[in-house]
Amino acid sequence: MLVLQLLASGLQTGALYALTAAGFALIFGATRLFHFAHGATYALAGYAFVLADHAGLPWPIGCLIALAVAVAFGLFTDIAIYRPIQRHSASFFTVFVAAFGVVIFIQSALEITFGRSFIAVSSALTHASQILPGLYLAQVFWVAIAVTVLVFGALGWFLSRSNSGIALRALAENTELLRAYGLSARRFSALAFALGSALVVPGAVLGAATTGLSPVVASHVMLVSLAASVVGGIGSLRGAAFGGFLLGIAENLVVAVLDTQWSEAAGFVVLFAFILLRPSGLFGTAVAR
Amino acid sequence: MSAYLLNLAELGTIFALLSLSLNVLIGYGGIFSVAHAVFFGVGAYAGAQIALHLAPDVLLAALGGGLAAGVLSFALALPALRVRGEYFVVASLGLQMVATTVFTEAQGITGGYGGLVGIPPPSLFGLDISSPRLFLSVCIAILLAVMAGVHALMRGSFGRSLMAVRDSESAAEAFGKIVPILKTLAVVLGCIIAGAAGGLFALQMSFVNVESFTLDQSVLIMAMVIIGGVGTLLGPLLGTALLLLLPAALSFLPGIPPTELGAVQQGIYGLAMTLLMIFRPGGIAGRAEGRR
Amino acid sequence: MSPILSVRGLAKHFGGVAAVQGVDLDLPAGLITALVGPNGAGKTTLFNLITGAVEADTGRVMLAGTELARRTPARMARLGVARSFQDLRLFQSMSVQANVLTAIEPHAWFWQPGGRRAHARRLQATEMALAETGLSALADALAAELAYAERKFLSLARILATGAQIWLLDEPASGLDPASRARFSALLRKHAGQGVAICLVEHNLDIVSALADRIVFLDQGRKLAEGEPQAILRDPALAAIYFGERRA
Ligand SMILES: Nc1ncnc2c1ncn2[C@@H]1O[C@H](COP(=O)(O)OP(=O)(O)OP(=O)(O)O)[C@@H](O)[C@H]1O
Ligand SMILES: [Mg+2]
Repeated sequence: MLVLQLLASGLQTGALYALTAAGFALIFGATRLFHFAHGATYALAGYAFVLADHAGLPWPIGCLIALAVAVAFGLFTDIAIYRPIQRHSASFFTVFVAAFGVVIFIQSALEITFGRSFIAVSSALTHASQILPGLYLAQVFWVAIAVTVLVFGALGWFLSRSNSGIALRALAENTELLRAYGLSARRFSALAFALGSALVVPGAVLGAATTGLSPVVASHVMLVSLAASVVGGIGSLRGAAFGGFLLGIAENLVVAVLDTQWSEAAGFVVLFAFILLRPSGLFGTAVAR
Repeated sequence: MSAYLLNLAELGTIFALLSLSLNVLIGYGGIFSVAHAVFFGVGAYAGAQIALHLAPDVLLAALGGGLAAGVLSFALALPALRVRGEYFVVASLGLQMVATTVFTEAQGITGGYGGLVGIPPPSLFGLDISSPRLFLSVCIAILLAVMAGVHALMRGSFGRSLMAVRDSESAAEAFGKIVPILKTLAVVLGCIIAGAAGGLFALQMSFVNVESFTLDQSVLIMAMVIIGGVGTLLGPLLGTALLLLLPAALSFLPGIPPTELGAVQQGIYGLAMTLLMIFRPGGIAGRAEGRR
Repeated sequence: MSPILSVRGLAKHFGGVAAVQGVDLDLPAGLITALVGPNGAGKTTLFNLITGAVEADTGRVMLAGTELARRTPARMARLGVARSFQDLRLFQSMSVQANVLTAIEPHAWFWQPGGRRAHARRLQATEMALAETGLSALADALAAELAYAERKFLSLARILATGAQIWLLDEPASGLDPASRARFSALLRKHAGQGVAICLVEHNLDIVSALADRIVFLDQGRKLAEGEPQAILRDPALAAIYFGERRA
């Protein structure tokens, strides 16, 4: 039953990774930017939720605050960091260093303000009950799965039905289009940053309610989003979601054979395997140089 | 010179070696690795083991450390460099995370969290050089030799080829450059120097543990190179000096509790990297305009 | 004259786009062949397929009668096939001299074989290429700092220095002022006269008719016509395609 239990928690972790990674992939698709600072967005949203909770605000308000913080920060990175840099340099590395700097800065700022240790919100949702002999599930498991399904459903609807959504998808699928539209793509880049950043909120809120948050989630989530996107195929939303699930499950299942210290490493072994054996990922096509 | 300053100078030469070596990857090769502390660490553990079990000879530790790091980097670089630069960054980030776990868990070699302690004082060809002044002189001599070597290579055809690949990979290929080999050579060269710096570090500290080889350390080395100026000879040295003096400078500022010093430093590195990329991507020693 | 480079049935699809569909091409030594056709005709892709920068779906490339399977840009360069890029791809952060010098230092090792003497020879070849392209005075300038025409000549100097016998030039003359254009034409003529096989992509039909010995007309990945410049340029059907009035 241990394996089943681990699979369940893998699904739960994976669902939240999937949403976060999908946000990363959405931003990459529309802008061709590796938004490394996505992890910082996650951390900020999570800490905002915890603060709201500690201030005694009801959880829906906390979620809204987290959403506002995430979207605002995502837009801020686009407008204040990426755009000025892209005005003088299109190089991936300049953007990477700047975004990486943001992650480090936010992580240190959180550490100075809230300390290194975990903080969490206590919630009745996390009390586990036995479903099958040896399989304990908390309500938060169902919440995580339900939220993920709902959000992906809404996202899918938006991307296939609304005009802006269709434009976003078209941009993601066709680089030439992005080049051809040049400046008008800017508007969509803001939309992608807002939407992609909003996708971290479920993961951040549920993360705060379950495992808790510490400043290093910023770099951890940055890695997970990147890894999931690579595993799934860079730029593919479906791939990123799938990659997120795969990493979440791998991280948890490895505990069946090794100590928990290895769980993070397991995710990266999966990542290496993909980079070496199938760099285009599960759903990606080889990206032209 | 006081013991404090001598100690700082020793660390300075070791970190100068590190940033110099990372500059070969980032500045000349355009290869971004966020795992440089891993190779520094491998070199340090190798150097420590040599000092503990063979002899605490400075050159032996540096060569052993360089060899260990070079072999590991060769094994990793060959496959990893086949993929696009973006993926290489991601892979190196992953390597850094996995390596931290491995360093902590492989107790037989690394001593786990406790690390390797009781490394004997350094010698050179059997002569005792444990006096800080002597050890510093040896470190500086090694640094100067490495600098001269790297400078000569980078001014020669190898440096030109690397920079050509960095500026335009497809054009470099169109003129016969074999890109994977050039990049692998750059990575292995950089990692050998990092490993050698690790060997010196083990003898300098007489104690090594995983805390010196984490992502934070990789970030520090990267910040030294980038803040100083990539692709220049003196930029990394300038960056090293600045960032090593930062903690001392910060301790003069009132209102920062000593326990937060580490976080404040990291925050400053992060902010400095972001601001430089926006306003002066060439770094302090680099040219002012952005490079494509 | 037997062709030094010949191409048979090269084809490449990008997803649904048939960029090049079964093209044959012969480049005889000493002749200038112009590759013309509307935007998106597949001219650049054809160069990419010949040099192996892009892997062909089907088709063969023969160099002096020997078939070259599994082509890579580096290998083709070593075999004496040099190319330029539509967007130049200079080594921006390097000096003009270093741009040319590195183009003739292909060994992937810490140093080049041959020692000082070989190095001196390469320096001399660099100097000559810079002199011929009028860049000698700018040898120490950074490639990124050059003016438009100088950048175009630098991309040519890199090729000149290699001594390659086959040149694939992707729009090398576009945007040049008349004086530079005359210099450029003279340069190409001179080297064709010395036996180099030149294939150039060019949109300006005046240059084509003045410079080319033969024209190959490409549209939507297919070779529509091939022959003497005057015959091709007078064909009203081709002109209509070229100027976009009608699609074939
Ligand atoms: N790497 C690629 N991936 C996808 N499609 C490509 C790629 N390279 C070229 N194409 C497509 O192949 C077709 C031919 O392109 P190519 O660049 O060869 O045309 P061209 O004749 O050089 O045009 P131009 O005169 O504009 O330079 C175009 O439809 C182009 O979009
Ligand atoms: Mg073209």
